[in-house]
Amino acid sequence: MKKAFSSIYMVIMMLFLYLPIVTLVVLSFNESKSMAKFTRFSLKWYEEMLGSRMIMSAIKNTFTIAILAALIATIIGTLAVIGLDAMTVRSQNILLGFNNIPMLNADIVTGIALMLSFLLFGVSLGYKTILFSHITFCIPYVILSVRPRMNKYTDTLFEAALDLGASRGYAFRKIIMPELWPGITSGFLLSFTMSVDDFIITHFTRGAGINTISTLIYSQVKVGIRPSLFALSTVIFAVALIVLLVVNILPGRRAKRAALEV
Amino acid sequence: MKLGKRWSAPFIIMIIAGTVIPICSIVYYGFTSRKGGFTLSNITAMAEPEHLEALGLALLLALISTLVCLILAFPMAMILRESKYGKQGFMVFVFILPMWMNFLLRTMAWQVLLERNGVINSVLGAIGLPKQQLMNTPGAVVLGMVYDFLPFMILPIYNVVSKIDNHLIEAAYDLGADKAYVYRKVIIPLSVPGIVSGITMVFIPGLTTFVISNMLGGGKINLIGNIIEQEFTVNSNWYLGSGLSLVMMIFIIISMLLLAKFDKTGESSFI
Amino acid sequence: MSELIRLENISKSFEDTNVLNNINLTINENEFVTLLGPSGCGKTTTLRIIGGFVQPDSGRVYFDGKDITDLPPNKRNVNTVFQNYALFPHMTVGENIAFGLRVSGKPEQYIKDKIKYALNLVNLNGFENRRIDRMSGGQQQRIAMARAIVNEPRVLLLDEPLGALDLKLRQEMQYELVRLKNELGITFIYVTHDQEEALTMSDTVVVMNNGLIQQMGTPEEIYNEPENAFVADFIGDSNILSGRMVRDKLVNINGVDFPCIDGSDNGFLPGREVDVVIRPEDIDIVPPGQGILNGTIISKLFIGVHYEMLVKSETGSGFEWLLQNYDSYDVGEKIGMYVKPENIQIMHKPKSEAEQAIELDL
Repeated sequence: MKKAFSSIYMVIMMLFLYLPIVTLVVLSFNESKSMAKFTRFSLKWYEEMLGSRMIMSAIKNTFTIAILAALIATIIGTLAVIGLDAMTVRSQNILLGFNNIPMLNADIVTGIALMLSFLLFGVSLGYKTILFSHITFCIPYVILSVRPRMNKYTDTLFEAALDLGASRGYAFRKIIMPELWPGITSGFLLSFTMSVDDFIITHFTRGAGINTISTLIYSQVKVGIRPSLFALSTVIFAVALIVLLVVNILPGRRAKRAALEV
Repeated sequence: MKLGKRWSAPFIIMIIAGTVIPICSIVYYGFTSRKGGFTLSNITAMAEPEHLEALGLALLLALISTLVCLILAFPMAMILRESKYGKQGFMVFVFILPMWMNFLLRTMAWQVLLERNGVINSVLGAIGLPKQQLMNTPGAVVLGMVYDFLPFMILPIYNVVSKIDNHLIEAAYDLGADKAYVYRKVIIPLSVPGIVSGITMVFIPGLTTFVISNMLGGGKINLIGNIIEQEFTVNSNWYLGSGLSLVMMIFIIISMLLLAKFDKTGESSFI
Repeated sequence: MSELIRLENISKSFEDTNVLNNINLTINENEFVTLLGPSGCGKTTTLRIIGGFVQPDSGRVYFDGKDITDLPPNKRNVNTVFQNYALFPHMTVGENIAFGLRVSGKPEQYIKDKIKYALNLVNLNGFENRRIDRMSGGQQQRIAMARAIVNEPRVLLLDEPLGALDLKLRQEMQYELVRLKNELGITFIYVTHDQEEALTMSDTVVVMNNGLIQQMGTPEEIYNEPENAFVADFIGDSNILSGRMVRDKLVNINGVDFPCIDGSDNGFLPGREVDVVIRPEDIDIVPPGQGILNGTIISKLFIGVHYEMLVKSETGSGFEWLLQNYDSYDVGEKIGMYVKPENIQIMHKPKSEAEQAIELDL
């Protein structure tokens, strides 16, 4: 009885979550432009998508910005964690308080605030302002994932390395970095995802003539949805599916194989 | 023995350039009139009926969406908690996956479903029912918010609920409690940190959204987010937009403080 | 003492593992029963079946003559002290203790008095309003006891309640538990893997292994007359050897004949292969040649009150005997060893696990 309720509930939730996505996927293969009738299987919207310079440049912008922003935010964030560790608790708390602001604040306010400061300082909006804004909101996520790995234990390891005659630089490279590494990678991935997914902050800081996938969709939807967007959705969904499967399943498999080899 | 503080220098520069200066800018514009002098009129403009109505509607729709998400997510989190260990990872995966799709595309999907000539109406037509006005209603906006933000409610609650020691629940039964009592006195109180961060993660984006109301409200549903966005992109009145943003920020801070009171531990459970 | 709980032919498996194999167990009113065994022996599962948290695959559970097999935990007149205490972290000490009383709708004044009474009983007067995470492990343990006791259960189930405490606290709590049990006059069913704990506190010890009851008896019986090699090995240090009955009341171990007190009367017929247990403290050291066999000391350890020595015997296969003695002998010294007939415990060799269990049921 209880089991039956759980299963029914799960199925309904699944339908709710996936029906809209499945609809987009199905319509992306529809020959007709109609959103109501499936006339014939066709790949023409995929062709239109690949042929559209607008979509392609939006994809390129999205990913170059995401990679750069994640990379820079990861470096700055990791260095910040190391520096914070040497500070008094009071200064740490003040800095972390500021660090949390972009994470807690509504994106619309963050976006507007960034845009206003660019304009106030005479910086014209474009690729660089988007990148800067993305770095700003990615840093907190990097710190959030790296900081828990920097603790008493790491301090002791560092001291042990120095005790054994390592130089500070050597101890940092060989001891601290490997300890922080899992946090650094997850910080990078989190930043990358946040950057790819962002619309609101990009919307306010992008200026005319440059689009990311998000802003492109927004402007397209306003003038009327073309099915090439369904094709784009399907591709994005497939990529997310594959990436998540790889991330989730590979480690399990590797662990299993390692267990077998022992 | 520590490495140096100076490693934080780039971070501190970014905090100043990316957080402190922008906030100062928005405060500056918010208290400045178009002619350049100090004014409170951008702030008090929130009291104008048009803005007040938009703020009220945003509060109402965000509140409804948050409640619906909470009601849907809590049983979901409990089901996930109780599912078999091997299956659990897969189920969580299934619920996270839609989150990875651009939220504009997810919102667009509902537009496709709800439109006058969209999927739902053609299904209704096929079984001989009259077409319904689904788009451009407050209901459509709430639906969009629930759909977009639901994973953000499920995840933090699941994170907390999955860590509740099963012995605590057994102990409550052992002491004679029935199921309802166990939920009321043990499971729900212990889930508060997750519920609080879930509410934060749904209510604040809901309160400030302009995208969902724009895409599913078709310009007929004006929330405070839409008003502010238009001041910047259409009317180019940054002063008024900043002032209204500041007032909205106050509402965000108030709701966060209210929520923080419930969550005594104060730690966010969403990672 | 009258019967309070009876387990009848209880079996339980998780996935493919048989955790309990047709267990039969009777527990009397006002008894301190300990389920003792290594991890995975089925002791905790037995306790959880009594508590109602696990449903047996087959078999019945009787409480006071009534079948309670299908009764949920909240309907049973037993309470549990959990291994990790399972105190509600969001409630104060007092609220934790009051939980069961509030569930049953007792008046507030009664609850207040009961909390006072229970805290007094576990020596934690005045701790009502403390937060759980501010209490030490030993204090949490006492609160968990108090929370269970206030409901006046007829049976208290304790799942390794002292496992997380350090040695000194554990010994203190052992006395406390016995005192509490005597004061309350209820049945305690206690699960542990610590043989010392079991011997110190219990009226009855139930030794379990591989989902089977190996032996049930008073601590003295379990220690002095282990029924098989597993029990002998698990309880205390011992020398366990294979032997063969030469004739009535004479057993041959490694080529040396030892007089003993078991024989045909208990079914140990001449020629029968048997297991023999000799406790290290039961081997007397005598001048060489004056004992039953001679040996050379090959190692010596001082372990507090006495010395523990390994002695390699001259005869037979050169078995290394474990000895405990108050006197010190040097490594390399030659000694004689003597064992009184009543200190030699003769046991049947196990044939198969299932057979062994059936035998024990008799």
